[in-house]
Amino acid sequence: MSEKMVTGHTMKPFDEEMTALNRVVIQAAAKARDQLAQALHALDEEDIDLARQVIVRDKEIDALELQADDAVLRIIARRQPVAKDLRDLLAVSKIITDIERIGDEARQLARLTVTFYDDDARPPNYRLLIDIHKLGHFVDAMLAKAMRAFAEDEAQLAVEVLRLDVELGEEMKSALRRLSTYLLEDARSVGHVVHTTLGLRGVERIGSHAAYIARHIIFLIEGCDVRHEPLEEVEKAIGGNGGS
Amino acid sequence: MTDASLVNANNAPLAGSGIAVNVGGAFTKADSEAATDRPAGAVDIDKSKIEVKGLNFYYGKFHALHDISMRIPERKVTAFIGPSGCGKSTLLRTFNRIYNLYHGQRASGEILLDGRNILDRREDINRLRARVGMVFQKPTPFPMSIYENIAYGVRLYERLGRVAMDERVEWALRKAALWEEVKDILRQSGGALSGGQQQRLCIARAIAVKPEVILLDEPCSALDPISTLKIEQLIAELKDSYTIAIVTHNMQQAARVSDYTGFMYLGRLIEFNDTETLFTNPGSRQTEDYITGRFG
Repeated sequence: MSEKMVTGHTMKPFDEEMTALNRVVIQAAAKARDQLAQALHALDEEDIDLARQVIVRDKEIDALELQADDAVLRIIARRQPVAKDLRDLLAVSKIITDIERIGDEARQLARLTVTFYDDDARPPNYRLLIDIHKLGHFVDAMLAKAMRAFAEDEAQLAVEVLRLDVELGEEMKSALRRLSTYLLEDARSVGHVVHTTLGLRGVERIGSHAAYIARHIIFLIEGCDVRHEPLEEVEKAIGGNGGS
Repeated sequence: MTDASLVNANNAPLAGSGIAVNVGGAFTKADSEAATDRPAGAVDIDKSKIEVKGLNFYYGKFHALHDISMRIPERKVTAFIGPSGCGKSTLLRTFNRIYNLYHGQRASGEILLDGRNILDRREDINRLRARVGMVFQKPTPFPMSIYENIAYGVRLYERLGRVAMDERVEWALRKAALWEEVKDILRQSGGALSGGQQQRLCIARAIAVKPEVILLDEPCSALDPISTLKIEQLIAELKDSYTIAIVTHNMQQAARVSDYTGFMYLGRLIEFNDTETLFTNPGSRQTEDYITGRFG
């Protein structure tokens, strides 16, 4: 008698292990988003204590990264996954690394608050920091969308993240032009401008990590490696030309 | 029926078969799901050894293979996977027409071996089985010495002098990576060897008649892991000289040893693809469900 297709894996523990692994990734991403939000809030409120909490809590994301990597190793060794299961594991292994880096960038942002407000030096003009907040929320939305694509197995959402990444590049250029203008107006602010530029670069890197995550998700879902493909090629590869 | 065909039928090793399969063009996932008679997968085969066209096979009234078309590339390893009863061994058995030995079994369509239809009644079946060797699941050494196990099949097809026969036996055993282990015990019974050695002896016996195609029907299912790896290594070495088709229930084995893989289900070839693609990004949902274990 021939066998029939069934829903779910024949080995139930495999499904359970994969579900648990994906849960760790989603949990790590949620923590990373929270860290970013708290770091931005600390900067906005000049809250040094909150900034220090963000710095300390980064270890929680590090721990989740180790937990996910350990699970990936164990599942590959024990289950010899293939096809989408294998892509899932490879993608998750890379996604968790990007999430951990996002956590690191949030920690760096928190350190900016400490640098600006934890001594007797003159604090920066609030206008200098506007773009960090604006772009900080922008990249948070990118990460949120990327993780929705992961949770819902939806490649088109991942493509939307790549479109946002292009937009982010343009926003960064504008932000750097504004910083240059401040510097021309007030050369004494050079120290703050340098730190703010570093902060902005950190925020931009968070956006880049969100875009990498989106590319890993496209690989996971579609099976095509688009890590180094321009947006137009990605859209062609998965037939996603519709706007977001 | 000739002696040669009896040997092939009952002992397997001399008979061979080729195999293969399909098709020419590239098929998309959508194509495969819309037209189930065409396998999914996009395979670019430079040169095929065997071409199957519209093959149907019947066990009496039971329709076991449905309109299979595919091409088997020359000097490559092609694996067939699928659940029990899907027809993969049946397909293999058509490549050397071993089914002819059994009443009520018949095939229709075409199987072209180097362009000649082996299903044609006028085809010399003994010659076919010399060109298409076969090794079965359970090692089947003849009840005779290691040397005679090799020489027996050769004598059916060729007249060789003693020196030439000695050379042929050594050549076959070396090809099968068994020479070093048996060169001092050639007169001992083949049945005294270990399971893995016996299977390599059977492969040596198949090789000894210098076939062009070697069919392996679950050759490692009765072997321990190390013997299995030795056979797999042997397959990797043999494919430089032979076209190999292997049926296996072990998907990891198919992934390890083959260049191309066909997935069969309910007598149909669902997907035929290069092995790397089939095991990383299969073109058919059914293939994906099977190889990932979502199949009960």
